[in-house]
Amino acid sequence: MPGSKTGDKKTVLFLCKCSSNISNIVDFEEIKRWAGEKGDTNIAAVSNLLCAPDGKKFFSEVIKKKNVNNIIIAACSPKLHEKTFQDIAEKNNINMSRVRMANIREQCAWVTADKNEATEKAKSLINAAIKRSFLSEDLKRRTMKAYSDVLIIGGGIAGIETARTISKTGRKVYIVEKNITIGGSVMKTEDLAPSMECSPCLMAPILSDVRDDPNIEVLANAEITNILGFFGNFNVTIKEKPRYVEDNCIACEECFKVCPVSVKNEFHYSLGERKAIYTLFPGAVPASAVIDKNICKHFTDNSCDKCVSVCPFGSINFDQEEKTTAINAGSIVISTGFKPGDLAGFPELGHKSINDVYTTYELESLLSTNGPTGGKLKPDDEKIPASAAIIHCAGSMDSRGIPYCSSICCTHAVKAGEMLGKVYPAIRVFNIHNDLVFTDPEEHQFYKKQKAKGTTFIKCFDLSSIKITKTPDDEKIKISGYGFEPISVDIAVLATGFKPADDFKELAKIMDLALDKNGFFRPGHRILHTTASEQDGIYSAGCASKPVNAAAACTQAQAVAGDIMSRLIPGREIELEIFTSFIDEEKCAGCKMCIPACPFKSIYYDPERKISIINEALCRGCGTCTAACPSGSIFARHYTDNEINAEIEGILHG
Amino acid sequence: MADFKPKIVAFLCNWCSYEGADKAGGQKLNYYAGIKIIRVMCSGRVDPYFVLKAFREGADGVMVLGCHPGDCHYRKGNISALKRMRLLEKMIVQFGVERERFMLDWISAGESEKFQKTAEKMTSRILNLGPLKLEGYVKRKAAQ
Ligand code: SF4
Ligand code: SF4
Ligand code: FES
Repeated sequence: MPGSKTGDKKTVLFLCKCSSNISNIVDFEEIKRWAGEKGDTNIAAVSNLLCAPDGKKFFSEVIKKKNVNNIIIAACSPKLHEKTFQDIAEKNNINMSRVRMANIREQCAWVTADKNEATEKAKSLINAAIKRSFLSEDLKRRTMKAYSDVLIIGGGIAGIETARTISKTGRKVYIVEKNITIGGSVMKTEDLAPSMECSPCLMAPILSDVRDDPNIEVLANAEITNILGFFGNFNVTIKEKPRYVEDNCIACEECFKVCPVSVKNEFHYSLGERKAIYTLFPGAVPASAVIDKNICKHFTDNSCDKCVSVCPFGSINFDQEEKTTAINAGSIVISTGFKPGDLAGFPELGHKSINDVYTTYELESLLSTNGPTGGKLKPDDEKIPASAAIIHCAGSMDSRGIPYCSSICCTHAVKAGEMLGKVYPAIRVFNIHNDLVFTDPEEHQFYKKQKAKGTTFIKCFDLSSIKITKTPDDEKIKISGYGFEPISVDIAVLATGFKPADDFKELAKIMDLALDKNGFFRPGHRILHTTASEQDGIYSAGCASKPVNAAAACTQAQAVAGDIMSRLIPGREIELEIFTSFIDEEKCAGCKMCIPACPFKSIYYDPERKISIINEALCRGCGTCTAACPSGSIFARHYTDNEINAEIEGILHG
Repeated sequence: MADFKPKIVAFLCNWCSYEGADKAGGQKLNYYAGIKIIRVMCSGRVDPYFVLKAFREGADGVMVLGCHPGDCHYRKGNISALKRMRLLEKMIVQFGVERERFMLDWISAGESEKFQKTAEKMTSRILNLGPLKLEGYVKRKAAQ
């Protein structure tokens, strides 16, 4: 075959029969004849099954023996095997860009009935691949140094488990917690359903583990103010608010006794009180107390310093200042937890207006040993409640509250009955529900057990019809709704759902991430990678991407840890995207059109040189900027204007 | 015009539409052989110039297919494509190319049947319109 039309390229055309998948529709003899006549390939090599071991061997031998430097493979989809053949070519010192597939199976032989038409289509697809291949430039694999330390935002059970898993490999892990101690929502519970495992017993050793782990650094009472960079190279700025109490505080609580100021304790859903100097629970990490500057009389009117004189350790320090820290990390994990659904839009449910109407969270807080009453729902001298109604889906699946099903609250609702039964063995429990959602056999079993114990499950087809009322003359709370006889009970419990935490929006903005329609972080992939975010290197665990229970939060945490540990290995550089775009500095007019086009904010403007520059560590190679540049200054590697134009010509004049 | 064999160039993004077309292949969902696919990483890579170039090189119809809005592998490349292509649709009419000769649509990796249907729809549209005829100045320019 003549080689004159191919310039300095020695081109081989592999034709794969794919057993007979391709060759029984596409006429290989005709393709060979046509290729020979065209003359821009030097060799045509036919294989029965190029991707099989024999085929690969044949492929290697041909490129070696014939000394080719440009390879066209007419076979299946490049999505299946382009990489297979690129790898073999690279072993033979041929750059990956020099291997190009023409998809004559999925997009030709398998979708065309007529042999002639299929053969003609195959020709044009092959022609396009050949024409384009002459313009391909070598691609380089690029690597970059990366940090293997990890920064975790949110120290609930998900964040803690991520930290504990990663720290075992010797990597440094930072937990940034906006509250004054880590522990999160699980610390507000007494038992975890459905196993009814004691939560304080579960958490206490975990918290001390974190405290004693030299690789884990907790920055509590802190918030993220800025995040720069990308996978492997994040730079995070953190603002730590002053505690006004030094680290040597052991939380002996002497000062609590003398502090004259009290305020509702948000940690206990405002059901109890705390002082201006406080901790959240015994055994907290960090242990030291915190002074609430907004109410402390030293700060408000300089009239008090009682805590200073009683502290045995001299820990009070009113002069502490805010601290800003910058941390380099290779990956970031969002595990900021959730916010319980509120019932402000549902006055008919009587929450906060009728005594003895609680949310499931409030009920559990009152029944918790770490809670505001030390585990007592009612003072000892009050009448023992004889009956309770638990309303499922309270404030959920309703546009006034949470529009979705959190999939966890049904188990919470069953658990509320179980907990009440423990304290008041004679109590009668009614669960009023429409859908019942249990996500695993254990949860379902838990529900069945509750039923067997005597709980009445009342089906109400329209939960928005539920009304909870109590007039001053009523002794009991009345619950009415569509489809069931009204019942009168002593206690009503509202099973509310999980809302996205308050700081999601701010964090999404800082990290340039999108939230889904419910306000949770969108996962990188809904099936393959639910713990990844849309930004490479930023992960989510716990309730960041959807409501999950503690067990699922731990599984996610370990998944995240595993993914990070397999991708960030101390001392090993990370591979960067190969098909990135770059700007020709000479040609760029500095119009900045490309900057907003980039979905990854990878392009910045250099005011000194008056040109735009692509940060190729961030670029993912979509080529959107290339299409946006009015002066043709941007080159999308492997998909340049020239290459695509050649493909257009090749496909139309095949 | 019984022997009119339209040439249709289709730009498909790597992540959804190209996969959708491959899946159509896997399921042996036949469509007109004159539809020929060019793979780009994202529909956002499609420069309006490529579409014009395809018409100039003799295409009777051009398609751009990408991931559904919200599903772009690169977040919003398809939104850039949408904006550009809306403008382009207006432009091609000025060049004497009927608006129907261009199609922008979204095909997910699973939507093999939608791909086949879309391909067939485009084919019958172009068959109805007949071969693309560029006139006057545009024709002279195209010939250059
Ligand atoms: S769009 Fe093109 S010319 Fe304008 S700043 Fe970007 S690279 Fe430079
Ligand atoms: S190719 Fe895509 S990711 Fe890269 S700089 Fe251009 S627009 Fe941004
Ligand atoms: S990757 Fe499919 S449209 Fe962007």
